Amino acid sequence: MKVESQNFIPAAQIAIRNPNIQEAVTTGTRNSYVKRNIAMSTPTLEHGEAMRMQAAEAKRRALRNLPDLLEKAEANMKANGITVEWAQTSQEVCKLVVDIAKKHNVHLVAKSKSMVTEEVALNDILEAEGMEVIETDLGEFIVQIGKTHPSHLLAPIIHMTKPEIRDLMVKELGMTPTDDAGEMTKFAQAHLRRYFLEADMGISGGNFILAETGSICLVTNEGNGRMCTTLPRVHIAVVGIEKVVESVKDYATLTQVLPRSGTGQVMTVYTHMINGPRQLGETDGPEHVYVILVDNGRTKIYDTDYAESLACIRCGACQNACPVYRSTGGLAYGWVYAGPIGAIVTPLLVGMENASPLPQASSLCGACKQVCPVNIDIPRMLLELRHDLVEQGETGKIWDIGIKFWAIGNKSPRLFQMGGSMARFGRKHVLKNNLPGPLGGWTDYRDFPNFAPKSFHQLWKERQAAKNSHNGGSNNG
Amino acid sequence: MGSREEILAKLRAAPKPFTDLPKRDTYLHMVPIADKSPAALRKRFAEEAKKLACEVSEPVSHTDAIQQILALFGENKSVIAWDFANIPLPGLADAFATAGIQIADVRDGSVRVGITGADAALASTGSLVVGSGPGKPRQASLLPALHIAVISPDQIITDLETWFDGQLAKGLQHFRSAAAHVVISGPSRTADIAMELVMGVHGPTRVHVVILP
Repeated sequence: MKVESQNFIPAAQIAIRNPNIQEAVTTGTRNSYVKRNIAMSTPTLEHGEAMRMQAAEAKRRALRNLPDLLEKAEANMKANGITVEWAQTSQEVCKLVVDIAKKHNVHLVAKSKSMVTEEVALNDILEAEGMEVIETDLGEFIVQIGKTHPSHLLAPIIHMTKPEIRDLMVKELGMTPTDDAGEMTKFAQAHLRRYFLEADMGISGGNFILAETGSICLVTNEGNGRMCTTLPRVHIAVVGIEKVVESVKDYATLTQVLPRSGTGQVMTVYTHMINGPRQLGETDGPEHVYVILVDNGRTKIYDTDYAESLACIRCGACQNACPVYRSTGGLAYGWVYAGPIGAIVTPLLVGMENASPLPQASSLCGACKQVCPVNIDIPRMLLELRHDLVEQGETGKIWDIGIKFWAIGNKSPRLFQMGGSMARFGRKHVLKNNLPGPLGGWTDYRDFPNFAPKSFHQLWKERQAAKNSHNGGSNNG
Repeated sequence: MGSREEILAKLRAAPKPFTDLPKRDTYLHMVPIADKSPAALRKRFAEEAKKLACEVSEPVSHTDAIQQILALFGENKSVIAWDFANIPLPGLADAFATAGIQIADVRDGSVRVGITGADAALASTGSLVVGSGPGKPRQASLLPALHIAVISPDQIITDLETWFDGQLAKGLQHFRSAAAHVVISGPSRTADIAMELVMGVHGPTRVHVVILP
């Protein structure tokens, strides 16, 4: 997917003025946020917190032993008859998928939701090779026919209102107009069923890779994830290397905090563990199962203080909780991963120079960390990324000049007081509510607050003077 | 060096993260359940399954169970089914034959009813654990609009953690012998369109659990 994160600020300004995005994203995020809070405080808030910490420990322990666990997962998958491939780059992922597809004479590909394949823009490559690719998650299907991008980890079209979706389905699929979400869903379901039954190959992501058993673990509510992985002859799971977990016990914790954090469900409808291809005597299931373990920048993150970001289980809770995401929606972030976690992994995966506004897209309120099922310290990493931005010269010159003046002023009490008086005078008589020049953007949407009428220095001086006169000029008081 | 080796080498060259992680000395279950008596688990399973929008019936006899299942078929005369040996309800095969219900091909998308047993049922969340294998086609619980699951009361266990404990006790062999496991928690659903919950997308619209006496 093309990276457009440098345009975050103008894209966000447009989104904020778009009533449809405002209505859709506000409703959607608030809904999920409330449900998450209920599910994660059942039966008690303390228990939910303890589960969060248990999940956090499980993912961090897995990351600590990542290379060993990857090897263990690979050995177990191979023992179960799964073919394991490794890919360092987008190009390599696409080449592997194309080669597998050609080997098995694939024409039609049914895809279930996968963020990694969005990263590597797999659909474009497969289509260029002459294959037909259909997204089967309802939201991703709408994204595909609308030729847009998913804006949320779990709810790809959270930014669209029902009338917008209706109009798109009428235009692109010839649906009889209806405002009933059930009817719209039924229409899409009937449209997609043929593809499941006729597809030669299914492509999925993976929520977890279970090292202890060599299982590919998927969660899906609609059932498309099960269909893509059981009806076609060939199944490929494209999974980031950070998805491996150590044990079935860890998996039991993680696969239950995931739906609670994401949608507030106690369990996803289908919690699916794929152990291998169809066995002797079975009448369904894929004949060939492949796993592609994807790096695509993850080993680089692993080698930094941002390794914690690899613990993310992609539940979307931080997006639902974030005041910035709630205002802008996900598309403004300009790449696959939006919201607080996206503001961290996007610059790390695509390069700071291609996503420099994102670490600033946060009020550092900490809501993201609070709801994160694996307790990722997102605010800490956002601050560190801002630090890196300055170090790498990705911030504007105006900041350097400003800080230089501030430093000069702060070294001399005289200059400091003079600056203070000038600022008070300027605010009152010259600028009124607006900041001058390049700082003006800040006051486009708010008034500049009034300074206190007297500085601390002045107040202190007056107080001492009053004290002295009260004590009759004596220093003994 | 291939990609596999390069990825592993890069990970091993990096300083190990989270080395100060405190060792875990407790293991909590997601859903704390105090009363684990069979009667309490059965009651809890039925309650939780209904919360997931499953239909639950508790027939008083096998004959009663068969009658209820046939009633669910309505006008439908074909079914995607597990082998009868894997469904703990004797007499079902004969009842289907008498009623003229045919076993359909597993990939027949026009069939409206599927019937399965289960490997276990989870009281904590009202879920069914369903493994695949010969005589246990996956499509029976996925492709038709109505999924009927027949379970015996002794299959109801506390929760997912308990099921995994049972698998660990057996050396996780089930993860070699079965190509897939799925934990089914209610009928398929979506809220992708304007956050409105719609039941029945690609998977079944109805899940009917029959708890045998």
